Amino acid sequence: MGIQEQYISEAAGLLSSGAVKLVIGYSEGSTEDRRRPVFVRTPAEAERLVLDGACVANLSTYLINEGLLSDGQNVAIFLKPDGIRSINILAAEAQINPEQLVIFGFDIENGEARALQGRKASDFTPVVEAAKAAGLSPELQKEAERLEQISAAERFEYWKDQFSKCIKCYACRQVCPMCYCRRCIVDVNQPQWVNTSSHTLGNFEWNIVRAFHLAGRCVACGGCDRSCPVNIPLRLINHRMAKEVLDAFGYYAGESTDQKPVLATFRQDDPETFIL
Amino acid sequence: MTRILLKNKLDECIAAWRSAGFSVLAPVRRSDLSRFEEVERSADMALDLVLTERTIKDHFFPQTEPLIKYRIKKHDIDSQEMLPPDRKRVFFGVRPCDASGLAIDDPLFGWDYRDEYWFKRRDNAVIVTIACTASDDFCMCTSVNLAPDSTKGSDVILRPLQNGNGWLVEALSDRGNALLEPIASILKDGSESPAPPASVPPRFEVDKVMEWLADPANFESHFWKEISVRCIGCGSCTFLCPTCHCFDIQDEGDTYTGIRRKNWDSCSFPMFTMHTSGHNPRNTQSTRWRQRIMHKFNYYRGKFGVNSCSGCGRCTRQCPVDMGITETLQAITNLPK
Repeated sequence: MGIQEQYISEAAGLLSSGAVKLVIGYSEGSTEDRRRPVFVRTPAEAERLVLDGACVANLSTYLINEGLLSDGQNVAIFLKPDGIRSINILAAEAQINPEQLVIFGFDIENGEARALQGRKASDFTPVVEAAKAAGLSPELQKEAERLEQISAAERFEYWKDQFSKCIKCYACRQVCPMCYCRRCIVDVNQPQWVNTSSHTLGNFEWNIVRAFHLAGRCVACGGCDRSCPVNIPLRLINHRMAKEVLDAFGYYAGESTDQKPVLATFRQDDPETFIL
Repeated sequence: MTRILLKNKLDECIAAWRSAGFSVLAPVRRSDLSRFEEVERSADMALDLVLTERTIKDHFFPQTEPLIKYRIKKHDIDSQEMLPPDRKRVFFGVRPCDASGLAIDDPLFGWDYRDEYWFKRRDNAVIVTIACTASDDFCMCTSVNLAPDSTKGSDVILRPLQNGNGWLVEALSDRGNALLEPIASILKDGSESPAPPASVPPRFEVDKVMEWLADPANFESHFWKEISVRCIGCGSCTFLCPTCHCFDIQDEGDTYTGIRRKNWDSCSFPMFTMHTSGHNPRNTQSTRWRQRIMHKFNYYRGKFGVNSCSGCGRCTRQCPVDMGITETLQAITNLPK
């Protein structure tokens, strides 16, 4: 039995026994190469689930929907290692109770889905440790380094050009499991803290605010980058922030459900290179 | 006998329009994004795209637009309107769905008052549309009573020649006729036949959709919750839409001076039409998605006699979770009677 059949059968079992109220997975999309998130509530509907190499979205973003987990019932969810790290962060930041989750873990290798062992967040510690040992993405690092090599003025022009494309649709925020604020700072309007206008200044404000809020929290799932309708390379910003916290604090986001948030913790041996 | 514009005459054509005082805007692909921008030569145009990622609506109703400058004084206020400059523009290589989008929005911007910011740009623009000979999986113009060679909203339509060397030229309005004058000597007479328009299969039955939406019993249907459950509430579909037109007015500045701006707003956002009291008439994603569909295929039609959708398919093409209007309208079409 392949991984897809195995997970479908288990998901149907969990729903029929009442062990979970909902399974969040993938189904076929509007074209052959697209997969879309699906919410399965009955054993019969489990047949709609699909799991293959095209299942790239980080579904953990749905867990922060207001009220989804507040009834205390369990939910099953399909997650790749990046999604498992997201769960760890959300638990560490007291946003979800990981005990309510049954995780159908999988990874994509050579374009195919491969099962990961375990069902609870803590079962996947070896997977996350292996990801940490492998380090940040070398492809992203290579891409980011090209930008590091140009002058600061040229780099500023590059980002000005990229941010000028931003239309403030907030797809990057909405698709991100880390953006769980009930009211985002850009929507705080009494008074209006951040300009709503999508002009160059407003776009810089938005993208920089978001980059800072994701430092030490982004797991590089690539959701924002894929969702951006105007193709801003958001992956490069988030990669740079992840590299900063890794280099400065040895911090890799989403290692466990009790990992202390890097920017909210103080250690006596924290580097103080930037403090006079 | 019909007139033909050859591709190898395009640079002469651009030059002629520029000397007649027009800026020429065309599809370009720059910084990893396809959109309409001013061009000076044909080599900068990306005419082979099925559709640009951004719509031409952006050039008539920009994402952020200054309306007035103001200064508050001790006893009165100075204010100054910031209307767009008078600038004659040719939009070359527009797709029929985007051109139709402008025509769909015209009555809205001219309804209870005339929005000069829109019409000043509209009145100075000439739309030169190229009929589509290619489509993709998301195109749905034929399902909203339009077609890959619709002329709605266009001043000139170009139909690609079978041999790929150029286009058959047809002026559709006075403005279109006037635009052809400076290039009269560049066009040639010919009798070549046009390539067949793209084949865009029907995706849904719009009449059935409108009938279902018009039934008040369906307003509170569970359908809305089911169909929108995976919507993440971003504004991508609305901001890429050639007909979406909602905006918000914001003052930017300090206590005494500033600029009043018109910024795009989206019915996907939780803050959309939220009242000062804190009451939100549409406080869930499903009611917001219902608003989007109802507005496009029921309310707008009731007011202006036309659906607020030109079938470009961008809402689905770019949706982060593979939603969009098509799926919802297909689902309504397939509902049991």
